[in-house]
Amino acid sequence: MATTAGYLARRAAQKERVRLLYRSALKDTLNWAVHRHLFYQDASDLRDKFETNRHVEDPDVIDRLIDDAEAQYRNFQHPDPYIVPWAPGGSKFTRNPPPPQGIEIIYNYGKEN
Amino acid sequence: MAAALRPAILRHIRLSPSPVAAAAAAAHPYSLERGLARAMSSHDAHITRDEVVDRLVDVLKSHPKVDPSKVNPEAHFEKDLGLDSLDTVEVVMAIEEEFKLEIPDQEADKIDSLPLAIEYVANHPMAA
Repeated sequence: MATTAGYLARRAAQKERVRLLYRSALKDTLNWAVHRHLFYQDASDLRDKFETNRHVEDPDVIDRLIDDAEAQYRNFQHPDPYIVPWAPGGSKFTRNPPPPQGIEIIYNYGKEN
Repeated sequence: MAAALRPAILRHIRLSPSPVAAAAAAAHPYSLERGLARAMSSHDAHITRDEVVDRLVDVLKSHPKVDPSKVNPEAHFEKDLGLDSLDTVEVVMAIEEEFKLEIPDQEADKIDSLPLAIEYVANHPMAA
């Protein structure tokens, strides 16, 4: 019983690793693609690479496949990935932050009357 | 006497924004520009929940593996729409692009249905 639970937990962890790897790899594919129409083909190729090993059952083989794929992903990571402008590292990050609450501009200062 | 006191007193008090102050600000040449800048700022695009639901349903309907007639705001990606886990990853990435979001991996992994996606996007301050 314990082995079944252990097996299922291991499979769940492997599935999560694959999902996260596919997400990172898909984003990286978009970083490498200069145009959208190039990205669609690359994304489809990436998906095919994952689909070839869809029916592998042996947990040890799966672990090895995931390790290989993660190593390949790390080797081909884009050096300057796209970052959403407001996110940390993005081009608008901490640019022109809004003034703190309670600060206001008095436009007619000194000429109130 | 009163005329002499008035500027001296005014120099030391600050009025909170009032209709008079607002009118004075509106009279300022830069006020119109300021209003426009706020309206065009992507950070202040407060999208309504209805808009979020509409656009999310559209994203799902345009995914090639989804049957558009099955999409409704209560749908679960895998149970109702027949997507697998990698398709779900693709859908979440499409949602990120639609709303110009960057969802951390661990959070993106948990979004597996439209109600969750609606909740996440509608509550995200940067969703645009």
